[in-house]
Amino acid sequence: MNLRTARALVPLVLVAVVAALPLVVSDRFLLKVFTFAGINALVVIGLALLFGHAGQVSLGHAAFVGLGAYTCAVCTVRLEWPWLLAFAAAGAVAAFGGLVLALPSLRLKGHYLAMATLGFGELMTLTFREADPVTGGVDGLGGIPFPDLGPFAVDGAATLYWLVWGVAGLALLAVYNVTSQRPGRAMRALHGSEQGAQACGVDIVGVKVRTFVVSALLAGLAGALYASVVGFVSPSVFTLAASVTFLAMAVLGGTGSLAGPLAAAVLLTLLQYIDALIPGIPRETAQTIQTYQEDIYGLAIVLVVIFAPGGLARLWRRRPRGGETA
Amino acid sequence: MDELLQFLIAGLKNGSIYALVALGFTIVFAATGAINFAQGEFFMLGGMLGVFFSELGLPLALAALAAIAVTAAVGAVFELLAVRPISGGDPLRIIMVTIGGAVVLRQLALHLFGPDERALAPFTEGASLKLLGAAVERQTVWIWALTALAVVALAFLYRRTTFGRAMRATSIQRDAARLVGVNTGAMVTWSFALAAALGAVGGLAVAPLTQTAFSVGAGMGVKGFAAAILGGLGNPVAAVGGGLILGLMESLTAGYVDPLYKDAVAVIVLLVVLFVRPQGLFGGSGRVKV
Amino acid sequence: MSLLKVRGVTKRFGGLTAVDDVSFDVFEGTIKALIGPNGAGKTTLFNTLTGFDGPDEGSVLFDGAELVGRSPRDTVRAGVARTFQNTQLFDELPAGENVMVGSQAHQRRGFSAAMLRLPSVMAEDRDAREEAGRLLRLIGIEEWVDTPAGDLPAGIRRLVEIARALATRPRLLLLDEPAAGLNATESRELVQTLYRVRESGITVVVVEHHMGLVMEVSDEIVVLDRGRKIAEGPPRMIQKDPAVIAAYLGEAEDEGG
Repeated sequence: MNLRTARALVPLVLVAVVAALPLVVSDRFLLKVFTFAGINALVVIGLALLFGHAGQVSLGHAAFVGLGAYTCAVCTVRLEWPWLLAFAAAGAVAAFGGLVLALPSLRLKGHYLAMATLGFGELMTLTFREADPVTGGVDGLGGIPFPDLGPFAVDGAATLYWLVWGVAGLALLAVYNVTSQRPGRAMRALHGSEQGAQACGVDIVGVKVRTFVVSALLAGLAGALYASVVGFVSPSVFTLAASVTFLAMAVLGGTGSLAGPLAAAVLLTLLQYIDALIPGIPRETAQTIQTYQEDIYGLAIVLVVIFAPGGLARLWRRRPRGGETA
Repeated sequence: MDELLQFLIAGLKNGSIYALVALGFTIVFAATGAINFAQGEFFMLGGMLGVFFSELGLPLALAALAAIAVTAAVGAVFELLAVRPISGGDPLRIIMVTIGGAVVLRQLALHLFGPDERALAPFTEGASLKLLGAAVERQTVWIWALTALAVVALAFLYRRTTFGRAMRATSIQRDAARLVGVNTGAMVTWSFALAAALGAVGGLAVAPLTQTAFSVGAGMGVKGFAAAILGGLGNPVAAVGGGLILGLMESLTAGYVDPLYKDAVAVIVLLVVLFVRPQGLFGGSGRVKV
Repeated sequence: MSLLKVRGVTKRFGGLTAVDDVSFDVFEGTIKALIGPNGAGKTTLFNTLTGFDGPDEGSVLFDGAELVGRSPRDTVRAGVARTFQNTQLFDELPAGENVMVGSQAHQRRGFSAAMLRLPSVMAEDRDAREEAGRLLRLIGIEEWVDTPAGDLPAGIRRLVEIARALATRPRLLLLDEPAAGLNATESRELVQTLYRVRESGITVVVVEHHMGLVMEVSDEIVVLDRGRKIAEGPPRMIQKDPAVIAAYLGEAEDEGG
């Protein structure tokens, strides 16, 4: 088997591993950890599209996740809507948020856009915390029901895992199709040179709006899934720190790639719960890792940006390029 | 009327702190064209280091000076280690590096000083002073004095010293400055040090009034940036103006609308300015090449 | 037939008039050069013609339709493509994909179709890839097709940008200093490329400082000085025009030459 065949088989093997995991892992807590990894992966896939491909910084991505989570919570708990409707609403509300944020992105670039997304994120955090009657304020909102897909009950650790990773898988496929073809090229062109893209007839406005909306939609759906898995939402979850964490996953994974950020999301999530993963690990080590988690995120961003801008993705893709001498 | 005066005083007090942080943003922006997301952490370090040195037994004045000096050094090292290696690259990378750097600084403070809130002793003890019928805490006067001193010193530095002229040259036209012999790399490092020092002064001055902790950086960063952009990035006078105006807006909102919305004011101002008039109140004409 | 009619185009920046009441025609199937000393307003004029920074006064008719007021995107779709003085390539993409982006000017939008991997989108992409290869071969630089644009030598970057502009299927091609940074061999390649472009029916307007190239390749020349048109005509005539000589000598004097 040559290298190319091996490389093509990798995604298939990974899909099989992911799908079969609940059959092998029986520990419910561990399965929940992997479920969270799937939720984070879903967020980061959208962020990789926005940041890694189109080059638009989002420092408030947790706000979209929060919008989705709270919408799902409010729709199921306060409005008593069926879960699927609440799930769709969560995506719609978050997508609308993305549309709103796309507007300044048309005029603002780089740092200014980053600050606008930061401001948006902070505004959402404040809203979640203060809009008591709707959001439950500082105490949050509880009693969110498990997902209800009609005939299928999704209330076990395994079924929740499969739902989350099923959605993440579909999202990955859709986003991969986009990035590997013309729209993805248009996004990377936009990132490379906005003027050059304009001179090629690229619809800059369309690309920016679509990228923000899709990326926010995915984050919103992830939020709804989070709310349904945990059963509870609170404003302290969807903060700047969370946004920075997602960004760290995207940066570590590498720009221009999807697999990298996905892997980074899974790895960093697993790192958070490392004592559950490796039962033999000494208490001190596990505690140290947990204490220094945020340090790891910050350092990861700094080191990757300085030394390895391609992130994990470039390390994996050691493809020889035409025109270079051997 | 007394009430209004009290709100104005509070607004100008907070506004002065915002002005100092905003100046920090402006100075770095002028020198590099980038926004330093770690500016809020310099504010935090000023207060935390002040407490640290004070608890070591140093008299307050020395502790304060030490805190400012160390924070300035941290700013310089930050530039050398994190920003310099990627200067001239994709602006996105500078944003990311300063975001990551901010997290690192914050965590460093957490590990060194612990998670608890700390207080700094007021610079001078004593009852509040009376100003036109309103009460003004002594520390507030200190804040005003220190801010004014910082602004004057900065103006003097920029206008009257060779060093200051070199810094201005670097911000206006980096390549031209290099041609004339200015060590633009060093100027950038000094900008960070200066911005850090200003942030530290703000952190020290306000620490006796509001407790300080390792986590105060992010919030102040957002407010300081809102102030900077309200005035107009790139212009030190605008930064000070923006800071004072933001402080007044917060204070008046808390007084006459609802204290609940006080923290929202800065964020809303930030978004409105970015959406509607990115060049700020005192910035140049219509089209901003942002 | 006059493909491009520039009439009374004026552009001011604050107190400075960068382009002052400039008018000229470009006939279909010809190569027209736009020359003049530095600061004559050539790139500014280009920006007004291509929608990047509209003129304050004047009109630009392309095949009878008004270009002024259109966005860069609409201008490209109307059939007017341009290159930039500071090459604006997409550094992270390989040269071939840079050129493929140019094809987007005449392709339909297809975000949802792409997401679903519909055959129509995939076919269009295949066509774009073939066209990109063909264009790079036309210009003689197909060996660089997989090299990331950021790694290309300066001269090749310019040529890739020309290929990318050609991918938009223009009727009029505006080149801003294409010969800058090219060595003698590359310049000769460029001249051949320009001939081939003209042969394929595309009209070309080129801003250039490289006099040898201009004299060799152009059918007609327009000379600007300080925003004003001071001469227009075939190369032989321009060479001898006293106003032109004075303008260039003036520049030489300013530079202490």
